[in-house]
Amino acid sequence: MREARSVDISVVIPVSQHSGDLEEIYTRFSSELEKTGQLYEFIFIDDGIGEKSFQILKHIQEQHANVKVIKFNQTFGEAVALSVGFEKARGEIIITLASFMQTDPQDIHKLLHEIEVGYDLVIGWRYHRVDPVLNRWQSIAFNWITRRLTKVPLHDLNCSLRVLRRKVVEAIPVYGDQFRFLPILANRQGFRVKEVRVRHMEEMGETGIYGLGSYVRRMIDIFTLFFLVKFTKKPLRFFGLIGSALFGVGLSINLYLTVIRLMGNAIGDRPLLLLGVLLMVLGIQTFAIGLVGEIIIFTHAKKIKEYNIEQFLE
Amino acid sequence: MERSNIARRDDENVFLSVVIPVFNEQENVEPVYAQLKEVLKELGRSYEIIFVDDGSWDDTFPLLCGLHQGDPHVKVVKLRRNFGQTPAMSAGFDMARGDVVITMDGDLQNDPWDIPHLLKKMAQGYDVVSGWRAHRKDSFVTRILPSKMANWLIGVITGVRIHDYGCTLKAYSAKVLKNIHLYSEMHRFVPAMATIAGAGIGELVVSHHPRIYGRSKYGISRTGKVLLDLIAVKLLIRFSPNPGHWFGIFSVPFWLLGFVLGLWSLKLALTPHAGYFPIIIPALCFLMFCSAFYLVLLGLLSELVVKTGSYSIARVSWAMVSDEG
Repeated sequence: MREARSVDISVVIPVSQHSGDLEEIYTRFSSELEKTGQLYEFIFIDDGIGEKSFQILKHIQEQHANVKVIKFNQTFGEAVALSVGFEKARGEIIITLASFMQTDPQDIHKLLHEIEVGYDLVIGWRYHRVDPVLNRWQSIAFNWITRRLTKVPLHDLNCSLRVLRRKVVEAIPVYGDQFRFLPILANRQGFRVKEVRVRHMEEMGETGIYGLGSYVRRMIDIFTLFFLVKFTKKPLRFFGLIGSALFGVGLSINLYLTVIRLMGNAIGDRPLLLLGVLLMVLGIQTFAIGLVGEIIIFTHAKKIKEYNIEQFLE
Repeated sequence: MERSNIARRDDENVFLSVVIPVFNEQENVEPVYAQLKEVLKELGRSYEIIFVDDGSWDDTFPLLCGLHQGDPHVKVVKLRRNFGQTPAMSAGFDMARGDVVITMDGDLQNDPWDIPHLLKKMAQGYDVVSGWRAHRKDSFVTRILPSKMANWLIGVITGVRIHDYGCTLKAYSAKVLKNIHLYSEMHRFVPAMATIAGAGIGELVVSHHPRIYGRSKYGISRTGKVLLDLIAVKLLIRFSPNPGHWFGIFSVPFWLLGFVLGLWSLKLALTPHAGYFPIIIPALCFLMFCSAFYLVLLGLLSELVVKTGSYSIARVSWAMVSDEG
């Protein structure tokens, strides 16, 4: 806002409760960016971190002309913070960072180099993780499952260090917890995505061992991703398949019971009958949900562009 | 969903747009262009040729660039990756400016000389004219037979019987394309949807040549998925104008069953039993009522969706009629 529209690189940093030394992050990363000779700006998004931490941000902002601070009045989460940051970013290249020293600032040059070479999104891969074993396992499992599902060979989706071209975020809206999958969504849109090994720093700010909640969230993430990737535009394929299977099983159970009944045995007291009917009903309901999904896609299809144009020669 | 920020300049009017999705067709691009050029020149109408490069990795794109440089009628849409035939086509449609849009394969299997005939048919007042490859030059078992079955199935389920849904060579009036949006693998069903929305559809026997170069990349496959898509199309056509109504009708058997089971339970409760009471009957009664209720709720939900959505069959029909004049 203070200077004219001439920024090459925007650094977007969502600041959460668990932030580390922000002053240090600014100093170390800006001294690396200084070496590139490009014009850069820092955008801190205060995700409802409280007055004390905000004062630190304010202090940084007052001292440096190329720092912007956006303050939320409550916590909205990393995805919202990032998307607001992307909106405010003016640079052609956008860098996202964690609000604590997650990776070695010097590695930023490696990532920027890949962008120069022609990649659209480069994500860090913290090699030689230094956090607790349990966290590492969770991360490995999460990334492994995601790789299996999406066939996109990335190893560290949770790494906050990403360098991307503006056009990527212009083409892909981020919401919910989806920012984790930004590289995958970008890849599916035909952008060139690469990962680069970076040195993992002792995460000083915070981390500790992930709670049980984080496992549940990861599982839901994976399920969401699976659904998004495979069935966004064809909900009936997904729900229809499940619904038909449930209905089929229910139907066979009831046919079996009908045969028994015709042979003269009572079935009124059999729990199996209840199961059979229940499955059939569940099948119909699942199918009906799929139908509602299909109606949603259909009535909003005008806004859905399934393609992404790289170039138009007119 | 995904956004695409590339839009067309809208400065000139074109009568005919020919949309050709190509995917790794380096041997075919130039011959297709040459053949097409000959035909279009003879037409004496304004035209544009839109090649949609669906993420080819061979020399297709450089060749297209060459054509574009040599001929201002050639427009090239390059997609970021291989998205598939429907997205490629809809990219082409979105960029096309012609009053009539013709789609054709980029593999020389369609004959550009059919284009004048298609246009003649369109001039008779049809909104969609579908090519019918009456004499297909493909292997019978792997391509013709599955296609025949698919056509029959689509015809039976949608009630719109044309012979060759799979034929790429089709002519559409711009208003049809403006009003019907493509997603998933919907391009096959455009004629059916257009017809149901009130468009006039014609068929024309077109010639078909065997493939000379390269191999076929698109085809009707994965019948299970196509079947579910088809059911979706059918239900959408039937339901989307007033889904609440249809879900309501859906729920009627459940209400009735629940009611009958309820009476039965009542009767059981009133007649004295020696120790044995079939609990299953009232249980099923509740289940039926619950699902009936649930279906009605889903109906209300979809009413809401349709009301807030920008698009419905009713609106399409209306657009078709109001554009007539």
